[in-house]
Amino acid sequence: MCTENVILEVSHLKKNFGNHEVLKDIDFKVHTGDVVSVIGASGSGKSTMLRCINLLETSTGGSILYHGEDITNPKIDAPSYRAKVGMVFQNFNLFNNMTVLENCMVGQIKVAKKSKAQAREKALQFLQKVGMSAYVNAKPRQLSGGQKQRVAIARALAMDPEILLFDEPTSALDPQMVGEVLEVMTTLAGEGLTMIVVTHEMAFARDISSHVIFMAEGCIREEGTPKQIFEEPKEAETREFLARFRNV
Amino acid sequence: MISNMNFLERIVYILQKYGTSYLKGAGTTLVIALVSTFIGCIIGFLVGIVQTIPVDKKKDSLPKRIFLAVVNALLRIYVEVFRGTPMIVQAVFIYYGMSQVFNIQLGMWQSAFLVVSINTGAYMAESVRGGIISVDPGQMEGAKAIGMTHVQAMINVILPQAFRNILPQIGNNLIINIKDTSVLSVISIVDLFFVHKSVSGALYTYFESATIVMVIYLTMTLITSRLLRLWENRMDGDENYELVDVMDIGSQLGKKRARG
Ligand SMILES: Nc1ncnc2c1ncn2[C@@H]1O[C@H](COP(=O)(O)OP(=O)(O)OP(=O)(O)O)[C@@H](O)[C@H]1O
Ligand SMILES: [Mg+2]
Repeated sequence: MCTENVILEVSHLKKNFGNHEVLKDIDFKVHTGDVVSVIGASGSGKSTMLRCINLLETSTGGSILYHGEDITNPKIDAPSYRAKVGMVFQNFNLFNNMTVLENCMVGQIKVAKKSKAQAREKALQFLQKVGMSAYVNAKPRQLSGGQKQRVAIARALAMDPEILLFDEPTSALDPQMVGEVLEVMTTLAGEGLTMIVVTHEMAFARDISSHVIFMAEGCIREEGTPKQIFEEPKEAETREFLARFRNV
Repeated sequence: MISNMNFLERIVYILQKYGTSYLKGAGTTLVIALVSTFIGCIIGFLVGIVQTIPVDKKKDSLPKRIFLAVVNALLRIYVEVFRGTPMIVQAVFIYYGMSQVFNIQLGMWQSAFLVVSINTGAYMAESVRGGIISVDPGQMEGAKAIGMTHVQAMINVILPQAFRNILPQIGNNLIINIKDTSVLSVISIVDLFFVHKSVSGALYTYFESATIVMVIYLTMTLITSRLLRLWENRMDGDENYELVDVMDIGSQLGKKRARG
């Protein structure tokens, strides 16, 4: 990996909830076009790390450089930073008071200050991409989980994010719907979108990512290419963790 | 004379003689209830919104945090005082208190709107706060994740859902206000109840007049709750949606059609 096109540089990131140290000294970099998968046991701090990167959680130490600028500085304009760093949640978090189309337009209009016509065109383009353009008039409550998640991805994409964060995007889905969401994500990865994906889908992490991070107890225990992590893991903890997924 | 009539004849007699007074009284009652519920909702939303402004110890400056804490304490006092005392006492307190303490001469109309509005506001404040808190926190996070500010998220995402959540309570308050404006007769507002008192005082027909007034109140509240239910259903929208043909998507959008 080269160093010029670093988008995110996380160094010595710490996060405490009270006296509970959830993140201890996290260091990693994300370059343009990287697809970083984050794996690890439940409670190891994966979600907390993503939420710190998106400023939904305030970190308690260290720095997160976005194009060299430290976004953990309290003076940073969090909303305009977030507009460039998209997030897809485990529970979709679609706006329940809006239709599918409105969900994908509202951010463009209110935040990016686009015209309605432009916003609609772009929303449709991305809804088409995730295969949801037939559902523009539906409300979130009328959709299945997999459909909701695809709309949530379209909503995030419509903001033209430079990097997209996924927090277990398929964990709340019925097994038969996991595939349709992973398919969309695979397409995006293929098109060069920069992504950080927290996932329990080991096959996806192995086949799609350019880089894999294994977290345990608030630390990055091991990282490397998918080949290094999945085929020749160095740490015993990594091997133990992966063994649990072998026969799945 | 009236003492020789039976119940129905008396009612007809009263209606012939005082029918327009009852209607005017009912009109006054409705106007005060509607306007005050509306203003009360605005007060309630403002208070509820201020009370749910998040404070971040790290990012917000000390003066801002102190200011918010003071404002919130004052709002708490407002809510507790006006929820915790009877409106009939509040009416007297404000009508006479304003002139004696602040030397402001409020007309009885101004007092009436003022009392019912701030009373409703106190109740609505609690409902709005509850309505905002009960919206799934994920909605706020979803809004923030696409770059919305707290204010944008509130206006576009949270408040519309909170409003829908508390619409039944707004209706409840309106119905309560239609009934409770009757206490305003203590400051000589000529509402429906005041008309009843005058008529029965003049003719000694308490039962008959009360029957008429009961029917009028019940008609007003029944119609109100029916209309509110319709409004709720409208807000919920269609249960079904139409799949849009991908080929001619541009022309199909925006049209609302129901299926099934
Ligand atoms: N708001 C919070 N307050 C206190 N503790 C929290 C909070 N959020 C998370 N934690 C704690 O932080 C730890 C890490 O949580 P986190 O959600 O980041 O784990 P995770 O790796 O995403 O797990 P999972 O795979 O189950 O999603 C957990 O022990 C959790 O209890
Ligand atoms: Mg998690």
